[in-house]
Amino acid sequence: MPRLLAILAVVALATTAQAHQLNVFAFVEDKTVVVETRFSNGNHPVSGTVRILNEKQETVLTLSLETDGTVRFPLDRDAAASGLTIEVKTGEGHDDYWILTPEDIARGSGD
Amino acid sequence: MKSIFSTTIAIAALSGTTALAHYGMIIPSDPMISQEDGRSVQLSVSFSHPFELDGMVLEQPVSFNVTHDGETTDLLGALNSSDIMGQPGFTLEYPLERPGTYVFSMEPKPYWEPAEDSFIVHHTKTYVSAFDDDEGWDTELGLRTEIVPLSKPFGLWAGNVFQGVVMLEGEPVPNAEVEVEYYNEDVNASVPSDLMITQTVKADANGVFTYATPTDGWWGFAALNTAPETMQHDGVEKAVELGAVIWVHFERWKD
Repeated sequence: MPRLLAILAVVALATTAQAHQLNVFAFVEDKTVVVETRFSNGNHPVSGTVRILNEKQETVLTLSLETDGTVRFPLDRDAAASGLTIEVKTGEGHDDYWILTPEDIARGSGD
Repeated sequence: MKSIFSTTIAIAALSGTTALAHYGMIIPSDPMISQEDGRSVQLSVSFSHPFELDGMVLEQPVSFNVTHDGETTDLLGALNSSDIMGQPGFTLEYPLERPGTYVFSMEPKPYWEPAEDSFIVHHTKTYVSAFDDDEGWDTELGLRTEIVPLSKPFGLWAGNVFQGVVMLEGEPVPNAEVEVEYYNEDVNASVPSDLMITQTVKADANGVFTYATPTDGWWGFAALNTAPETMQHDGVEKAVELGAVIWVHFERWKD
């Protein structure tokens, strides 16, 4: 019986966590890329891995989320020339991405 | 599903002219804008009988706003004149700069309706989600009258129920009447009876109403009340109908 309860608890926890979809958003402000993350219940993840990929889907930078669910990094104009993909993973089944297009980057970098 | 409607819209229009319901309309190009969809939403703003696609003149509204993350922005000056359903209306392309729910709302000028011997003022709104973030979907704008959604007003399947609370002057309206009408934009739907062009449900004692849509598309919900004040028409005091209108899109289920 205790084992059954433990299994049910794990299933319940997993289901709850799965229901909280991760959303990633990023923008450029003062030549800095700002990445924001939030679960669909409004809470921020407190940790996670952020990968920055160029147009060839090559990783150009790997960062860790701050405890407020954000991370910032300087805009590398060369790497970002054709846009950037920002992938965030916060746990099993919790990942999302945001594509910063060249237009997004131009808007925020004063071009 | 649409085939359940058996007679043609033409017949309905011919025989049902006395029962046409008026709707303020704010119809977005998409109620859920993903990052792949772009960074803006296009709005079509009009006044019409949406099932019959019978347009009416929409003058420059008294106000047209967007509310996002608790901040309301005046968009009145951004409206572009346009012809919608053969009558003057407006369009607007609005840039979506951040995720979350954007609520677009309009207060039109009072519309004199001779057939009803009254003025009509439909406070109209719709909710648009940006970038897969639904934060703010239940926003109450504090309009003089409005329908506050209890169901998330986007991302609904055809056949889902929609629930909302009818508010007037900041209070729920017990037993409020809510008219429901389909925006027949592709002219495919028809009805077996004029009574089915505009359906009516009543709210409960807490102002809560429920309606289940039979098909996908845009559905307008209009809660109608009579204002305590009157307005003059040709020197005679006339009643003012206050409408709280919300437009909600229901999505087609695909197996």
